[in-house]
Amino acid sequence: MSLQVLIFSLLAGVSILGALGVVIARNPVHSAIGLVLSFLNVAAIYLIARAEFLAVVQVIVYAGAVIVLVVFVTMLVHPDDLPEFHGRRPLRVATGLLLGGALLLEVAAAILTRNLSGVPGPWTDQTISLIGGNTRALGQTLYSDYMLAIQLTALLLLAATIGAIVLARPEAVSERVMAARRTLTISLAHPRGLDQPELPPALPLPPDGQVKPAGGGRSIVLARSASEFTEQPAWGEWRTP
Amino acid sequence: MSELSATHFLLLSAALFIIGMVGVLTRRNVLVIFMCIELMLNAVNVSLIGFAWELHQLTGQVFALFVIAIAAAEAVVGLGIVMALTRRADTVDIDELRQLRE
Amino acid sequence: MDWQRLLVSYAVGFVLLNVLLGLMAYMTWFERRVLARMQHRVGPNRTGPFGLLQPIADGVKLLAKEDIVPANADRLVFLVAPLLSFALAPLGAAVIPFGETLHLFGLEIPLLVADINVAVLYVLALGSIGVYGIILGGYASGNRYSLLGALRSTAQVISYELVLGLSLVGVFILAGSLSLQDILREQQRALVIGSLTLPNWYILSQPLAFALFLIAAVAETNRAPFDLPEAETELVAGYFTEYSGFRFSFYFLAEYINMIVVSLLAATLFLGGIDGPFVDGVWWLALKALFFLFFYVWLRATLPRFRYDQLMGLAWKVLLPLALLNIGLTGLVRLWGIGAL
Repeated sequence: MSLQVLIFSLLAGVSILGALGVVIARNPVHSAIGLVLSFLNVAAIYLIARAEFLAVVQVIVYAGAVIVLVVFVTMLVHPDDLPEFHGRRPLRVATGLLLGGALLLEVAAAILTRNLSGVPGPWTDQTISLIGGNTRALGQTLYSDYMLAIQLTALLLLAATIGAIVLARPEAVSERVMAARRTLTISLAHPRGLDQPELPPALPLPPDGQVKPAGGGRSIVLARSASEFTEQPAWGEWRTP
Repeated sequence: MSELSATHFLLLSAALFIIGMVGVLTRRNVLVIFMCIELMLNAVNVSLIGFAWELHQLTGQVFALFVIAIAAAEAVVGLGIVMALTRRADTVDIDELRQLRE
Repeated sequence: MDWQRLLVSYAVGFVLLNVLLGLMAYMTWFERRVLARMQHRVGPNRTGPFGLLQPIADGVKLLAKEDIVPANADRLVFLVAPLLSFALAPLGAAVIPFGETLHLFGLEIPLLVADINVAVLYVLALGSIGVYGIILGGYASGNRYSLLGALRSTAQVISYELVLGLSLVGVFILAGSLSLQDILREQQRALVIGSLTLPNWYILSQPLAFALFLIAAVAETNRAPFDLPEAETELVAGYFTEYSGFRFSFYFLAEYINMIVVSLLAATLFLGGIDGPFVDGVWWLALKALFFLFFYVWLRATLPRFRYDQLMGLAWKVLLPLALLNIGLTGLVRLWGIGAL
């Protein structure tokens, strides 16, 4: 066993452990940590295969952007709402493992008995170092043979950006108020726990969302969610949605 | 198997892909399923780069680059959908998200 | 022979790491002294002459403090996150050239740890991994303020990393390489405009990129005026609210090492690094880096903190279009060969 194989096996082992962590961990943030571990080790494997540029891109794009976004969204989602993995769906887990095992056997058999090999290309280590490194060689290939593909990719990324903006746009006001009624997040400026049903019914909620104090003066604004609150002007008329 | 060859890359790729697949089949959290899909895409990249290395070709690396770009686009749209879902339905459990079916 | 080169690399790396750690300790002293001067105070001056022993006293104090883990923390992640932040911070310095190759005892000693041909991208990649220390620390604390700090930091670092990367593309186009050594070599040539002979530093041909890089770098290192993740007036201390003792100091020190590494990088990319009048050498690099470090402190003493929406608006609506414009202009200049710099 050469040193190269030893290093490869080490990196591959850690990346497979990380991948297992993604599937097994109950907490999605732990899953994300496993995924990052796996991606970093795969990036190191790319270095063994002399793909320096891709190794760095893997770290920057996958580990640095995609998974960071996933963790970001995971934190925005309320952690109590995250479903549990274990317990309820044993049939599905069994099916998944069975299918996975069958596919693994099949693919491993195919890989280990393969004897077909392609035609070696011109990009040996010598030619790549002659042209000035992996990045330059990759750039020249990319921008000469794959011009159309790269422009289509740019178009795809633009479409994805627009799609994300449309999806993340604040929804219609009626939907937002409905969501606020369902979730009861932050209650601001209400006299006595109006939103909590287990408390004795202290005051009936006025229809226009305002309470006139007995002594006159300014009315107290009732906002049942943070977004409902921030929608309101700081002073002036209460805006009923 | 004493020298490093594309076989090693392919075995790693297969292992990662199948772990990702099992994750997609068994997990219920949209976010974890999403991560498993990323894992599968990454597994494909491993085999592409293994072939590129064995055959002294750059085509595999170019393909891997495109896969990464498309994975990024997929991530953006997918996470946008997850955000919209949590805002509307307040859950990330795919078993509860069946409005289209009912 | 290969083993010899590897050993030399390790030795250079070891020396560099220790120098960085020492510098970082004195960076805290430097910042407190300069900040005090700018605010008409004296600053730490009791421990040793000019307070020079203050970093050591602080270090001893921090190490002696109790290491507290909150009850509802995610224990393992909480314990590991600061180590991650701290371990990744000095790695960026590995690709920065500190001088020409030395010849000692018949050995070739290159004054940089690793000459890799994607050096600048490597530093950017380290920055994008480094954000995990912050996110995970904030998440694992089990505290709303920490979580908010982590969320802010994520959004900020992702946005400004984009600007940072794109601002460097102009430099890449001019240098035709991603290796810091090649970029340095390009800058050592002379730039002749009429009767004027100037060094070919990229601050002259890429002033816009330099400004963008500087702004984005301050935001990347979470320093004032972009220190929203740790805004003490609104978020207690952001992601490291719950940390104490040496884990707290790891976050703190990681921030200072990041500042030093970014300063070295800026000096190498835009100010010609070791290039200077009279004799080239590491002293020029140190002087330029010191200027950037002073600039950091100066900013902190001068500017108030940004509001969160201003911060994101600045990145996406101002800096990003400017960076794209810079790339376009540089590409056109390069294509038409104007000036043939």
